[in-house]
Amino acid sequence: MTELFVVITVIAVALIFDFTNGFHDSANAMAGPVATGAIRPRTAVILAAFLNLVGACLSTEVAKTISGGFFDDELITVPIILAGLLGAIIWNLMTWLLGLPSSSSHALFGGLIGAVVVGAGIASVHGWVIVSKVLLPAIVAPLVAGVAAAWATRLAYGITRKTPSVHSATGFKHGQAFTASMVALAHGTSDGQKTMGVITLVLIAANLQQPGTGPQLWVIIAAGVAIGLGTYSGGWRIMRTMGKGIVEIETPQGAASGAATSATILASAHLGFGLSTTHVSTGSILGSGVGRGAEVRWSVARRMAFAWLLTLPGAGLVGGLAALLSDQGVVGVVALMVLLAVACLVIYILSRRHKITHANVTDSHEVLVLAAARPATYPDDPRLEAPKPKKAKKPKAKSAA
Amino acid sequence: MHVDWAALGIVAVVSIATSVIFTILLASGIRLISAAKIKSNEGGSGTVTLSLAYVLLGLAGLLVLFGIYLIIPQFH
Repeated sequence: MTELFVVITVIAVALIFDFTNGFHDSANAMAGPVATGAIRPRTAVILAAFLNLVGACLSTEVAKTISGGFFDDELITVPIILAGLLGAIIWNLMTWLLGLPSSSSHALFGGLIGAVVVGAGIASVHGWVIVSKVLLPAIVAPLVAGVAAAWATRLAYGITRKTPSVHSATGFKHGQAFTASMVALAHGTSDGQKTMGVITLVLIAANLQQPGTGPQLWVIIAAGVAIGLGTYSGGWRIMRTMGKGIVEIETPQGAASGAATSATILASAHLGFGLSTTHVSTGSILGSGVGRGAEVRWSVARRMAFAWLLTLPGAGLVGGLAALLSDQGVVGVVALMVLLAVACLVIYILSRRHKITHANVTDSHEVLVLAAARPATYPDDPRLEAPKPKKAKKPKAKSAA
Repeated sequence: MHVDWAALGIVAVVSIATSVIFTILLASGIRLISAAKIKSNEGGSGTVTLSLAYVLLGLAGLLVLFGIYLIIPQFH
């Protein structure tokens, strides 16, 4: 009975993680098209959600292991998985509150590593795997995608220099819609199966499923729906940072960065050097800004880089603390669920102070959390605090739509 | 510490090359379509330019289809 309760809790928590994964990453595909007006915000998230659901249902091969080589597989127990998922969820929610894109896979690995360290000591974690699978790709992804996007952007502007912008805008917007859809579909196939893998492992561990069998149909559908709903809910805070915060995105630039994002994601998925979708799309947008010679807000880029570096230890800290409770039986699990609910509620209430929705996502470039953290002259409307030159650019982005 | 530098190099080259090729095809197609429109507005015939534009955009479309082929595991 206790075991069944724990298993059901872990499955629910895994689906919650899948949901946060969806809204954290919908910006990866859709921030560009939303910022240039190639796809309207609502349409963009519906499209991305649908493609994520389709992608999740298409992925047949589910990762046999969720340890990722960071530690030995036998250390993975149901309480560890629960604690790891909690660390990842909390980290995803906190970075969402701040509007910072960060890798959901890194958050999950961080949570699991933290939980394993508490359970089995720091020696059980393979340090070099962290370097080769987390640190190095986090540097490589934005570099590769950034260089690709910078060159593509220069070419896009160079080739269409004499073309009337009315003509070029339409064409580039179509191109952008295609590349963004590809990113959303690829995201569904890769990230949907992460949750399916977790749920399947838990079911096998609880002897509810034969070892060595694939995910059951309801698991596939539940995971697909959870990531799709998450994507649909939008993650507008992260969308604003990626679409407006790093650099103003013009239409040819958006098409070039979309091409770079999808090319890099597909190449890394099929040629053996895995890169995080989040890092790739951020790198493309940065690179396209550099390629156009636009004013890149490096302070935003720096904040994101810090968030990437902190993802593993941050989620690990929460995962480690959660691991202290998660193996205390039903009482511990119930206590954890209460804490999770409280944390979600607090973060939700904080996010309401400066709400960002599909209606105002492209109105400003800043994601504010606490008005008090800013000069007191700010009025309540976050749209009014954009500096003057940015304000002048706003109608331009609108008219391109 | 094992890092697959060869795979990393290939990923970098393929990513950059594909992005650049796709953008060249797309941007050239857009430029030619626009040129054809302007030509026909001025009374000339833009048929050749227009067909060339669609060939280029078709090639870009093939790249997109290849991407979808790579994404969907049932195809390979």
